[in-house]
Amino acid sequence: MKKFLATLLAMTMTLSLAACGGGNDAPAEDNTGDSAEGGEVVSVEGKTVAFIPKLTGNAFFEVANEGAQEYAADWGITVEYMGNAVAGVAEQVAVVNQAVASGVDAICISTVDAAGVADALQAAMEAGIAVCTWDSDANVEDRALMVSQGTPEVLGQMLVDLSVEGLKARGVDPDNDAVNYAWHYSQATVTDQNSWQVEGEKIIKEKYPNWVNVQPDNYYSEQDAEKSITVGEAVLSAHPDIDLIICNDSTALPGQLQAAENKGLTKDDVTITGFATPNAVKQYCTNGTIHNWGLWDCKIQGAMGCYVAAYLAAGNTVKVGDVISIPGLGDCEVMANDCLAAGVSTADTNNGVVLLPERAVFNAENMDNYNF
Amino acid sequence: MKNLTKKRPAFNWTAFLVLLLILEFVIFGGTNAKFLKPALLMTSANDFLPICIISIFVTFVMITGGIDIQVASIIGLTSIIIGVAWQDFGLNIWAAVLVAILVAAAGGALSGFFVAYCGVQAMVVTLGGSFLYSGLALLVSTLSSTESYQGISGFPASFRWITKYKVFGVVPFQICIFLVLLVIAYLLLHKTKYGRKVFLVGVNQSAAEYSGINSRRIIMSTYILSAVSAAIAGVILTSYLGTAKSDLGSGLTMNIITAVVLGGTLSTGGKGSAIGTALAAIIIGLLRFGMPLCFKVNTQYLDIPIGVLLVVVVVGRSLAGNPNVIAKFAKMKERFKGGSAKSGSAEA
Amino acid sequence: MNKTKKIFKAREMTSFLFLMGLFIIVGILNPSFMSVNNVAACFNTSVVYTLVAVGMAFTIFVGEIDVSVGSNLGFVATVVGSLLRDGANWGFAFTVGIIIGVIIGLINGWGVAIMKVPSLIFTLGTNGILRGMMYIYTGGAWVENLPKSFKDFSAVTLIGKFTVYYCCAVILVVLIHMALTRTRRGRYFWAVGDNAGGAELVGIPVVRTKVMAYVICGILSAAAGIIFCSRIGFVTSASGNGYEMKAVAACVLGGISLTGGVGTVIGAAIGAVIMASISYLLVFMGFSSNYDNAITGIILITIVVFDALMQRRAAVKNRRARLVARTAAGTAKEAGE
Repeated sequence: MKKFLATLLAMTMTLSLAACGGGNDAPAEDNTGDSAEGGEVVSVEGKTVAFIPKLTGNAFFEVANEGAQEYAADWGITVEYMGNAVAGVAEQVAVVNQAVASGVDAICISTVDAAGVADALQAAMEAGIAVCTWDSDANVEDRALMVSQGTPEVLGQMLVDLSVEGLKARGVDPDNDAVNYAWHYSQATVTDQNSWQVEGEKIIKEKYPNWVNVQPDNYYSEQDAEKSITVGEAVLSAHPDIDLIICNDSTALPGQLQAAENKGLTKDDVTITGFATPNAVKQYCTNGTIHNWGLWDCKIQGAMGCYVAAYLAAGNTVKVGDVISIPGLGDCEVMANDCLAAGVSTADTNNGVVLLPERAVFNAENMDNYNF
Repeated sequence: MKNLTKKRPAFNWTAFLVLLLILEFVIFGGTNAKFLKPALLMTSANDFLPICIISIFVTFVMITGGIDIQVASIIGLTSIIIGVAWQDFGLNIWAAVLVAILVAAAGGALSGFFVAYCGVQAMVVTLGGSFLYSGLALLVSTLSSTESYQGISGFPASFRWITKYKVFGVVPFQICIFLVLLVIAYLLLHKTKYGRKVFLVGVNQSAAEYSGINSRRIIMSTYILSAVSAAIAGVILTSYLGTAKSDLGSGLTMNIITAVVLGGTLSTGGKGSAIGTALAAIIIGLLRFGMPLCFKVNTQYLDIPIGVLLVVVVVGRSLAGNPNVIAKFAKMKERFKGGSAKSGSAEA
Repeated sequence: MNKTKKIFKAREMTSFLFLMGLFIIVGILNPSFMSVNNVAACFNTSVVYTLVAVGMAFTIFVGEIDVSVGSNLGFVATVVGSLLRDGANWGFAFTVGIIIGVIIGLINGWGVAIMKVPSLIFTLGTNGILRGMMYIYTGGAWVENLPKSFKDFSAVTLIGKFTVYYCCAVILVVLIHMALTRTRRGRYFWAVGDNAGGAELVGIPVVRTKVMAYVICGILSAAAGIIFCSRIGFVTSASGNGYEMKAVAACVLGGISLTGGVGTVIGAAIGAVIMASISYLLVFMGFSSNYDNAITGIILITIVVFDALMQRRAAVKNRRARLVARTAAGTAKEAGE
């Protein structure tokens, strides 16, 4: 066996030595080659962007990818969707390293954990790759631009607004009536959903002290469709007087709605709302189980993220206040990082935030206008 | 089945795995020379190192005829204990690491105790353990001032050094840790009395008991070993990522089991080797790295080549490894036909 | 008299008592749990697990294991779901689903029984392949908007609060149990798992029995996939992930030994109810959700450890009783034995 190991080692070493002599840093070359001088916009054509979701197989990210791919064809860029079916930091770092290794020009990532991917993203930037984020941000120093759907505060507020509207629609007075509510989403370790919940909870405590949270530590269904129904049914049975369930997870919302349907409840009995793609919930809305739900146009967000990443990779530089015009999507302004979180600094060039045009609230009237 | 595999010495299988590894280098390297760049290889190795470290010690458990599916949850438990003990309880980082490893060892000992002394089926105890320890990890994370969904970061440079330092400027220090652990595992399993006892217990527990081996203690010790290895992987991962989270490594269970069985360990016990497992873990890791790099296989579809590899390798081994199998196959086919005809007539 | 005694001594009775004990504990913690609706919901919610666990039980009986059940379920659910979504005939879609299950079973059976590949490795392999094929088939997207009539069928109740699906599953399990215990070929499964060499010597078709076990497992997992579609109403690409471990756990909770040859499908079905209803029960227990996983782990470990200790005590008692009987009856009886 020792002999085999020795042979193996020898083989590896010779091979790698040979490779060392031949190869060169391809991505580094790319970036230094064509720096934009004097405001000329360099075409993004031919650039390759690694589009990295938190996890694959989740409707939200799949739809974003769909959007990115659609627009990428028009822009002449290649979008490579790279991800792991598990939303873990270690898994995502492996994917980032993979992207760097395969020599992409830019990375557009929705991070699982900002601190966890920091080193990997720094290494990517050192290799001359343009790093942008979308949906879920990295530390500001580890990326250039962020295509944001809004801060946790904004999204927490949106969840509360959706709830209030749904309650009003069935004759509950959110300001005075005692409203029993609960949150139902994936799990306690997921970053974004928990940050929305924390912000939403803050707003409720402040503005609606008459609301009662029946389970302050929330209900979790771990993105398991079957569990989301089991938990959903249990929540409805254990709290027959519940008025509102907020499901800020794209598996939990349809699961909770299905549970309500199984128990014969409609939007007039209990208000269920949250974030999910329109297609996943349309049917429940037609059935009269849900009044409204929301999301932002993740298709456009995905596409925008890939475009700005490719835009920077092509050698364009941007400053706060600059406008990037995206063919087919319109213009967007680069804003300072502190528009997301107060007190965060912004580097002189190639650093900032691009806000997504709008968030959408879906209901029976408008849901057929969306197809994702 | 047991007899067939036992007849062939372990040497062949290891040789075959080495061959497979070389084949990977040749194919991937030939397709894309970048694959052979040491820097790239090393970063990719960093990403599957936890699987390598843990699987060589899970091999011990599987040789005794057990299985350990709680190791993945112990990674997260270790990580979050380090984070919370260091940040919120003000422990020295190395003391925190020690505490975490001790807790992990206790966790392994608990499951091992149930398996060895109460005779409970290992798969279910460790499944329960995986729930329990991931649950504990979450509870530990609630003790912290940092919200559970955020990683605890900002570790001192001395701790990050474990994974930042590069020996000779190329080889990450964590790979050296892995190699040292591999040597320890190899010596322990194949060169010591303890290792012989582990094999004996796996072949036949009562026979081992009659020959004066405290088989229960041996079985329990293997679970402690695998838990400690998971804890070491947890420390490395925490240092590598620079963040302590309770769900770290939660997706690794199947990968670890796959590496162990591909390494030639018999799931019924009694057979296996540390080197084989390490080779298998590296083969799978490189496959995961090389397929997208060289053949543009989407990372989502990687389960397929690994599944195919497993099936083809084991079926090929049973076909080509022994010409008798082919003859037996034909005979069996006849018997299969004969059997169905006979029972058909019996029914009539 | 003798018969009732036998029923209470049966191994799956202990599992049933565990389940009842669990219900009672939850009932004490939260009295509102004690209603027909809630108990029925626990059973109804377990239908998918029941089918998978019973399928798994077959492969465990013959001394093997099938860890591809989860992706089998997921793959069938995706295919059947997309067929139904695109307006296919129900009968056609179900047939396709079941045929896929049979094919997967045949492949696993071929690998394990004929090629003699250790079952854990082989089914891990097919598991990965199926999971990947599922991604390729859907491109990662979910299968949504299944026909309403198909979904609504899952809420139809038959006896009391029990859904049609659960009633069918129960009837199926009882029929399988009778087929296994009352027919000669049914008993082959246990004989093969108990001692494959011995079974072969007495003329039992070992290979065919093992292949049969895998085919049955494939069919039941496929059926579980179809019911999954109907119950859930949408199919995510993670569907069925991790079900294999829970199915194994269900089998063990139901008194099935992983070494093969011991246990009943009824036990597996009861174990499945325990596994499936834990997340329902946790909501009623009213603890913080942060405790969920830890409690699940403790429940699982407690049951299996308690059970193993009881089994061992019974075994020791039996041995002592036998010893006493022998010494009392003298040598004549021993010769007869």
